[in-house]
Amino acid sequence: MAPNLKPSALENAFVLKALTENVRLDNRSFSQMRNLDISFSSTEYGVVDVRLGRTRVIVRISAEVTQCRSDRPYDGLFLISTEISPMAAPTFEAGRKSEEELVISRIIEKSIRQSQALDTESLCILAGEKCWLVRADVHFLDHDGGLLDAGCMAVSAALLHYRRPEISIVGTGNKREVVVHPVTEKVPVPLSVLHVPVCVTFSFFNMKLADNDDEEMDTDAPDQTAVLVDASLQEELLRHGFMAVTANTNKEICQIYKAGQLVVEIETLLSCTEAAVAVAEKVTKLIKRRLKEDEATRNVDNIFEEARAENTRLVADEEAIREMDKE
Amino acid sequence: MSRPEIYSPEGLRIDGRRWNEVRHVRCAINTHQASSDGSSIIEQGNTKVICNVVGPGEPTGGGVGGSGGNQRAKDDNRVILTVKAVVAPFSTIDRRKRSGNDNRVQEMCLTIQHIFEEAVMGHLQPRSQIEISLYVLSQDGGMLQACINAVSLALVDAGIPMYDYVCACTAGMYDKEVLLDLNRLEENDMPFLTMATLGATRKVALMQLETRVGIDRLEPMMAAAMSGCHHLRDVMDAEVRKHGKSRLARTGV
Amino acid sequence: MADGDRSDEVDAEDDDDDSEDERLFSLDPEADGDARITGVVKGKHIVTPGELVTSDATWMRGHGTYSVGNSTYSSVAGTITRVNKLLSVTPLRGRYVPEVGDHVVGRIIDVGTRSWHVDIGAKQAAVLMLGSVNLPGGVQRRKSESDELQMRVFLKEGDLLNAEVQAIFTDGAASLHTRSLSYGKLRNGYFLNIPSSLIIRSKIHTLELPGGVDLVLGVNGYLWLRKHTQQLGEQGVSITRLAEEAGWEIYSDENEYISPSIRETIARYANAIKALEFGEVGVNEPRVVAAYEASLEFKNVGEMVENDAKRRIARQVLAARS
Repeated sequence: MAPNLKPSALENAFVLKALTENVRLDNRSFSQMRNLDISFSSTEYGVVDVRLGRTRVIVRISAEVTQCRSDRPYDGLFLISTEISPMAAPTFEAGRKSEEELVISRIIEKSIRQSQALDTESLCILAGEKCWLVRADVHFLDHDGGLLDAGCMAVSAALLHYRRPEISIVGTGNKREVVVHPVTEKVPVPLSVLHVPVCVTFSFFNMKLADNDDEEMDTDAPDQTAVLVDASLQEELLRHGFMAVTANTNKEICQIYKAGQLVVEIETLLSCTEAAVAVAEKVTKLIKRRLKEDEATRNVDNIFEEARAENTRLVADEEAIREMDKE
Repeated sequence: MSRPEIYSPEGLRIDGRRWNEVRHVRCAINTHQASSDGSSIIEQGNTKVICNVVGPGEPTGGGVGGSGGNQRAKDDNRVILTVKAVVAPFSTIDRRKRSGNDNRVQEMCLTIQHIFEEAVMGHLQPRSQIEISLYVLSQDGGMLQACINAVSLALVDAGIPMYDYVCACTAGMYDKEVLLDLNRLEENDMPFLTMATLGATRKVALMQLETRVGIDRLEPMMAAAMSGCHHLRDVMDAEVRKHGKSRLARTGV
Repeated sequence: MADGDRSDEVDAEDDDDDSEDERLFSLDPEADGDARITGVVKGKHIVTPGELVTSDATWMRGHGTYSVGNSTYSSVAGTITRVNKLLSVTPLRGRYVPEVGDHVVGRIIDVGTRSWHVDIGAKQAAVLMLGSVNLPGGVQRRKSESDELQMRVFLKEGDLLNAEVQAIFTDGAASLHTRSLSYGKLRNGYFLNIPSSLIIRSKIHTLELPGGVDLVLGVNGYLWLRKHTQQLGEQGVSITRLAEEAGWEIYSDENEYISPSIRETIARYANAIKALEFGEVGVNEPRVVAAYEASLEFKNVGEMVENDAKRRIARQVLAARS
């Protein structure tokens, strides 16, 4: 279904009517996610391909050494770029930000960057001078609903998977220089990821509109809101409201975004946040499992195993140097 | 320099409030008669917002919304809302010019648009447009809540039918204490959420949290924010009634 | 706070007895002088959006209300109006809502095919069909293709006219007509705009005021003050000859000579009406005259733009009422 087309009134009525009978068009239960598949690039670190049903997102992490920002001398830089190209769906225009794109990029930003999922302090190399700039480029390849959820998972998974090149500092005093060792020379190091945010979108449907089409609100009646997890594109186009909750396995909520549209009882929202934590646990488990499987294929002949031990020592040294710099 | 104590053991906050006290609210409606159909000004503590509403009127076509124009079809038999916000460069301590397409401001406009598309009885004004303009004059925490409250008041002033006021309030969690209606210093120091309810009901129009917080802390924050919203409804309602009475006394036939 | 008010309910059984509760709207027709004339009981009690108006299901819900189950709630801030079993809430302020028969003043915003779009300050632009205007050369003549081509000669963008609301479309937009000689293009005067809620409806909205000035008091809050001119109908022309009299001059773009004293009187009226607007005093013919008389204490018309002067005039008008 083309996302630029508005579903007809009959489709609308059909989906709503089905929901009153607790049926989704693809026969999932209300709280069931679509099939989630996460795979990593076999050649490169930090490239992840997430498929959520027919929605597909690829994220690529890259890093370079750059100048620190003067107002935050102890922090590295972390940028997430989420531009939705017409490749995902013809509704998205290249270069022009749609409302949907704005919301998606802001929520991913809040979920991952503002929740400090990546420890930016660990990206500092020389205080006030050099730091890492980590960039996450999110590419939305196919749109069948849930771009936000898939995008957020993909960034989290990619950050866990990425290995940045090892560096060492040469010289002393003002003549210190940062040398970046190519991946072929020294074993690259993982990023310091503090927690794994997973974004879950709940779609709300006002069941009162299912039977009669009049616009009246029944404030006295019990809450008649159907809550769907991981809406498909059609459901997304028809829903009356949504809430995006980002949670992690530490039972923390990183971000909540429920902006207008259908008004929902506070109790429903609260139970959604709890459901989000459960989903986050499941998704994190899957990400971790896939990471382990990927690790296993990479270290098939164990050539890096010995180097790894040495490498941890180097990391420790680097920490010490940074401590000295701070003082 | 000693940091100010966010919440003293005696239960007082930086500005001397208790945990459950909102800042002083001053509001007025019908403040800009010449330029708008409905207008309001609201001050919540040191946060100050002006709102003008023009409409419902003939759609201007292109749409001037800060949210990137109107892509919605005109055949949609509902009112078109456009929200435009200007954050004054002098509204914060460090003078800073925000560009019009600042993502945060755009997101706020979009949020407000979505809230009021639901609260306004849009089906009663087909093929017309309501333009909402917001001017943030001063920021001391709770910009979003002040904007939402200001829009509510201005829409009521414009005589646009809506189901109820939409009233918004923030609540934060300092250690294990809930604090209501945070100012800027408090906002920077603790996780907080902004909530907007439809009148004095338990129906939530907006809930936004932008900082990490344990899930067990969420419920008390939500409860506190909701009671704050209900209190603000009373304050705004009182102002509308006061204004209405004085108007009626003069216009009475 | 209004906590107490929120639970107010209107009891349908109360129809006959004089309600003692002051906060409820008065159901006694004697309580309000206008009530009997209009058949509408106006209350002094203000309701606000979301407020419960009544939980009695026997009432019919009108404008400004919505219902949830059996209860009726207000959707605007205003006063309750009751006509028989119909309950509605009249907003304190709001855009003009056109009704059939309203005499309005409007401005052409667009010339379309076979119709003009007219701004009358309502939610949507009103439509003036080519077939609903008097054209030179006969009231009832058929509109020809050449008329269609020269529509801009009759009325073009920016022109002001007064008209009557002929019909309301289903979406609320108004259709106008100017098929009477008292309607048509406006000239020889001055336009001003006040909130439509301040206009008090009456039978006649083209007022002949002392001082040789006419006022077209559009129900939509658009006003036109002009030099008094003999209207065609007033010259004793028989109805049958009206058609011939309706020549090109009704679409003339030329102002007549207006003497400085008339100009000053027009300005005085305009400022007097602005004073009424400032004080949010309802506007009708006696009030405008009263405001004009009150304004005579200011020798210089320009003085009346001061807020103090406006306040003074508004207060005097209100005092004259009681």
